[in-house]
Amino acid sequence: MMEFIESKTWIEWLLTIAKLALAFIPVLFILLLIPMERRGAGFIQDRQGPNRSYIKIPFFGKIRAFGWIQNCCDGLKLFFKELYEPKNVHKVLFSLAPAIPFGLTLLTPCVLPYFASLNFTFGDTVVHIPAANVDTDIGILLMFGLSSLSVFGTVLSGWASKSKFPLLGALRATATSISYEVCLGLSMMGMVLLAGTFNVEGIVSWQENHVWGIFVQPVAFFCFLLSAIAETGRPPFDVSEGDPELVAGYHLEYGAMQFGMFYMGEYGHVGINSILMATLFLGGYSIPFMTTADVQANFGGVLAALFGICAFLALAFLHMVYRWLREFNKGKASNKDEINKEYLLYKIIAWVAVPVFIALAIASGLFLHPEATMVNGAPVYGIGTALGTAAVQFLVLMVKTVFFCWVWIWVRWTLPRFRYDQIMHLGWKILLNIALLNLVVTAVIAKLVMGGN
Amino acid sequence: MLALIYFIILAVVAVGCSLCIFFTKHPLYASIAMVTTMLSLAGIYGLLGSPFVGVVQIMVYAGAVMTLLMFIILVLNGSRDTRTKRFDKVSIFVLLSVLAVAALTSIVLCHASFDFNPDTVRGGVDVTAHTLFDVSASGNGYYLLVLAVGLVLLSAMATAVILARKRIASDPENAKLEEVH
Repeated sequence: MMEFIESKTWIEWLLTIAKLALAFIPVLFILLLIPMERRGAGFIQDRQGPNRSYIKIPFFGKIRAFGWIQNCCDGLKLFFKELYEPKNVHKVLFSLAPAIPFGLTLLTPCVLPYFASLNFTFGDTVVHIPAANVDTDIGILLMFGLSSLSVFGTVLSGWASKSKFPLLGALRATATSISYEVCLGLSMMGMVLLAGTFNVEGIVSWQENHVWGIFVQPVAFFCFLLSAIAETGRPPFDVSEGDPELVAGYHLEYGAMQFGMFYMGEYGHVGINSILMATLFLGGYSIPFMTTADVQANFGGVLAALFGICAFLALAFLHMVYRWLREFNKGKASNKDEINKEYLLYKIIAWVAVPVFIALAIASGLFLHPEATMVNGAPVYGIGTALGTAAVQFLVLMVKTVFFCWVWIWVRWTLPRFRYDQIMHLGWKILLNIALLNLVVTAVIAKLVMGGN
Repeated sequence: MLALIYFIILAVVAVGCSLCIFFTKHPLYASIAMVTTMLSLAGIYGLLGSPFVGVVQIMVYAGAVMTLLMFIILVLNGSRDTRTKRFDKVSIFVLLSVLAVAALTSIVLCHASFDFNPDTVRGGVDVTAHTLFDVSASGNGYYLLVLAVGLVLLSAMATAVILARKRIASDPENAKLEEVH
C-alpha cells in the first residue's frame, strides 16, 4: 500500500483528488439551466418569467438576482417536501429508479477533459497530470456505454409505479432513447475516425492542431445535435410526457426529491451532451487559433484579453441596467423605490467590477511573463501558469457549452412537438442513414487524403 | 495488491448477482442482477488489461441487450413467478454439473499461480485494432472472420425484418386477436 501512495508526489495526489470535483460540473449546470430555461421561455414568449422571489438584505431591500432566487426557493421546496409513495407501487424499485439516472450523471463525465493535461515543473521534477478523471484510450466509448445505462432508471420507474401512464411514458422514453443512441454513436464516429483515437483529449488536441470538428463534419454535427436533443427526451421530442395523453410520463407518481433527482438527471444529461457537443465539434477547451503551447507562451496577453472581455461584459451589463431603469422610471409602477434600491446594488457591483477588470487586464498584460524551462525540447512552465491556463480553458469550454444549453432551450420553445411515429421515422429512416452515409464518406475521404491503413 | 482487492470485490459482486439471477422469482430483479453481473464482469476485463472488451461488454450487453430484455418484461407485465418450482428433478443434474465445474475451477486455481500484472495491456484499442485489421501483422484470418460475422448479423437483421413484416401483414384477424389478448 505504501508503494501505491509513494508512486506520486504530494502535489500530484492533491491535484488528482481535486480533479474529482469536476464530476459535479454537469449536475451544477442545473443552477444555470433552470433560470435560463424559465427566463429564456419568458424571453421567447415575450413575458417576464418567474422573478418575484427575493431575499431581503439590509440597505438594498429585496434582492431577486434576475430570477436566480426563484431557483433556490424551488430547490429548497423539493428538499423539504415529504417523500411520498402511492399505495400499490413496488417499493424497492420505485425508490431505486430515480437514483440511476442521477448517479450516472455523476459517473459519465469521468472521461471528459475540461482543460488540457497539466504539465508543469514543480521543484526540480516535471509533473504530468491528465485532464480527465479516467484517462484511458477507450474514453468516449466508456462514456457512451455508461450513459446508455440511464435507460434502466426510466424502465424501472415506469414499471414500479404500477400505473398505466408511467408505463406508457417509460415505454416511449426508452424506445426513443435507445433508437437515438445509435445515431448519436454513429455520428460521433466520424470525428473519432479523423482524430484516430477514442481518447477525448486526443480528439480535442486534433481539433486544436487542425480545424474544429464542425467544419470537417457539418453533417455529423447536425445529426449529433438532433439525436442528442432526442436522446435526453426534451421537447420537441418529449413524447414520454404530454399533458393531454400521458400527464407527466414516467415520473408521474414521483414527488419531492425523487422527482427532483429525475429532474437533475435530465438537466445533467443536457449539460453532459452540451459539453460533449462543444468538445467534439467546437474544439472543446481550445481557444480559437491558439494551441495550448501558444496560450502558455503568451499567458499574460491571454489573461489581459480575458479580463478585457470581462470588463466589456460588465460595461454592457451596466448599459442594459441603465437603459432599463430609465424606461422603468418613466412608467407608473408603484414599487419604483424598491426596484431602484435593488438595482443600485447591481450597479455598485458592476461599477466596482469594471475598474478591477481593467486594472487586472493591464497588470497581467504588462507584468506577467512566465518563464519556461526546456524539457525534451518543449517548454514547460511553472504550476501557476499551468493552473491559470487550465482555468482559462475551462472558461472557454463553459462559454461554448452554455451556448449549446441555450440552443436546447431555443429549440424547445421554437419547434412544435413531434408525434411518436414521426420521431421513430426520423430516427431510424432518416438520421441513421445520413449518419451511416456520412461515416462511409468520411472514411473514404480520410483514407484518400490522410493515407494510413 | 490493490488490483487483487478490486478483483475480489468485483468477483464477489459478479458471482453473487449471478446466483441472484437463479434464485430470485421476479423477472425484473433477475434482469437487474444480470446487469450488475455484466458491469462487474466489465470491471474484471478492465482489470485484466482489456478495457476495450470491458467497454464493449457494457455497451452491448448491459446497454443494449439488457435494455431490450427489460423492455420486453415491461410489455409482458412482469410479476413474481409463483408457479415454477425452485427445485425439481432436473435441478439435480444442474447442481451436479455446477459442483463439477466448481471442483475443476478450484483444482485449477490451486495449481496455478494466483498473480497477474494489471499494467500489461492485453486488449486495448490499439492491440485489438492491430490484431483484427492489420493484415500484414496477423494475416487476413481475423479480418475475414470480422467480415463474415458482419454478414451473418446483417442477414439476421434482414430476416428479423422480413419475419416481423409477414407477421403483421399476412393475417389481419390474427393480429386483431393478439391485440385483444
